[in-house]
Amino acid sequence: MIDSRKPMTTQRLLALLNYAYLLLVMFVIAGILTAAMTLQYANGELPCPLCLLERIAMFGVCFGIMLNFRHGFSYQNTGFSLLFAIVLLVVAVRQSLLDIYPRPGHEYIGSAIFGIHMPVWSIIIALCLLTAYAIKLAILGGDEYLREAELAEFPAIRKIADILSLYVIALCLINLVSVVLQCGFGECHTFNYKLLQ
Amino acid sequence: MMVAVFATMSLALICGWFGRRSLAVALFVLCLALSVGLFLFEIYSPEYGFRMPWIQTEFVGAPHVRS
Repeated sequence: MIDSRKPMTTQRLLALLNYAYLLLVMFVIAGILTAAMTLQYANGELPCPLCLLERIAMFGVCFGIMLNFRHGFSYQNTGFSLLFAIVLLVVAVRQSLLDIYPRPGHEYIGSAIFGIHMPVWSIIIALCLLTAYAIKLAILGGDEYLREAELAEFPAIRKIADILSLYVIALCLINLVSVVLQCGFGECHTFNYKLLQ
Repeated sequence: MMVAVFATMSLALICGWFGRRSLAVALFVLCLALSVGLFLFEIYSPEYGFRMPWIQTEFVGAPHVRS
């Protein structure tokens, strides 16, 4: 049912903002994952198991967003994204606490970006995601018109979302192959690619 | 285990893309369960359990005040 309290142009604008927001979040996460993979393959910085779980959490956030684009907007999909945003936060906080006091075998892995290591960046990313979702819910609300708005009304956003979704799927598949090479079917280590020895 | 986590997430994304929503959600939930299990396995230490004694602080008592 369309919300009759708001004019149609306002409803359309809010729906457009909603989809643009989702697109922006997926674009940023895809950029972060691309940067992490570039560091891995260009600099030879192999990800640790908790780093890989942080990547999975980011793919999980993208999964919820992708369902919104493929199957229509739903707060259930938003819930999927928020679940993995919380997983990202928990894993990143634990990893930061694990490495916060340098000891043999426990120090921040990989190079620092702007002086901040990846686990700490992951905390920042998770907090930004949760904050962004909270702000979006506060501004756009849980109104019916977001669920009624068809993505077909915004062909440009739909096209970009399709391309971005396929890109995220490709990133996940590349990561899967990379994990098979790095870990085999056992535990993961950061020494080398187990199957390339 | 990590391979299973990435495989289920990849399949969930692919099923989501091709319109198999219920299958995608089932794989997503499986991936979440596997991720949580793997996370607990990774952070567990036979020596410390789930505790983190290296960040515990000691009680040093009240600072000495000159009279």
